[in-house]
Amino acid sequence: MSDPFEALAQRVAERVLDLIVSALDVNALLDRVDMNALVGRADVNALLDRVDVPALLERADVNEVLDRVDVGALLDRVNVNDLVRRVDVDALVEQTDVGAVIARSSGGAASEALDAARSQAVGLDQFIDRWVQRGLRRKHPAPAGPPALRSGRTGR
Amino acid sequence: MSAGTRAVRPVTSQGHYAGSVSRFLAYAIDVTASSAVFALALAGISYVVSVVTGRDVSWSKENIVVAILFVAWEFAYFGYSWAASGKTFGMAVLGVRVVRADGTAAGPRNAVLRTLAFPLSFLLFGLGFAGILVQREHRALHDLIAGTVVVYAWDARAARLRFLAREAEPGASRGQPAGDEPG
Repeated sequence: MSDPFEALAQRVAERVLDLIVSALDVNALLDRVDMNALVGRADVNALLDRVDVPALLERADVNEVLDRVDVGALLDRVNVNDLVRRVDVDALVEQTDVGAVIARSSGGAASEALDAARSQAVGLDQFIDRWVQRGLRRKHPAPAGPPALRSGRTGR
Repeated sequence: MSAGTRAVRPVTSQGHYAGSVSRFLAYAIDVTASSAVFALALAGISYVVSVVTGRDVSWSKENIVVAILFVAWEFAYFGYSWAASGKTFGMAVLGVRVVRADGTAAGPRNAVLRTLAFPLSFLLFGLGFAGILVQREHRALHDLIAGTVVVYAWDARAARLRFLAREAEPGASRGQPAGDEPG
């Protein structure tokens, strides 16, 4: 084919495509697409492997993203008690200056002696109790405390 | 901060039934303290009487008035302490307290009943106290009568943190206090 015909064919094809695209209802078309099936067929890992995450993060305005985050709503969904339970407070005190602060604020010779005396007494209580339970041949362990206090609360 | 990397050891017996040693030591402290206060009060009264009247007054253990006063004072000491805060001075030192059998705070009625029933535990060579050792809830006779139990009330977790804090301080080299699971 010569060039004029080729150029004409090209223009006709473009015009036809324009007409088809303008006539198409893209939203209606997308409604017919089963996105779950589509996503299920896609290899997301392979797709993510191709993504240059550092470059992506460099282009992202993190502050703007954070501005859009509703921190209050986010915190409402967080189980803070569960979070706190996971914290190893002993390690925290041992490894940080928090320990020194606690020691300075609450540690005195009297409280140290009292802690030690109480600990000794509880240790002896448990020692005697173990032997008594063994002597009485009790198979089922006794309840640790009154029902209202088993969660660690005191009576008053 | 390390989150959940080490096995969590129970560090507190707070709210558990108190054992015999803690309770006996608390009672020993109470008897010593209340007797000392009573003796001081008698000495004070003697001094005032001698200053006012010019006569020396001496108190004898056999004196029935002194005996009655002592019993009344002991009743007031234990009864008021249990009613007001659930613990006497000795119990506060040892970190134990009196609560109702279900764990709720003991009221004045429990406190008065417990105080009245307390002497009964001394009968038959102190058989009433045997319950502290053998009863599943460590209840003595006066506890059963008054519907009370004695529990550990001191915050051992805070004590453990204080211990760890002292250990964390530079130059600290003290050993761990006995009873890794304090009350």
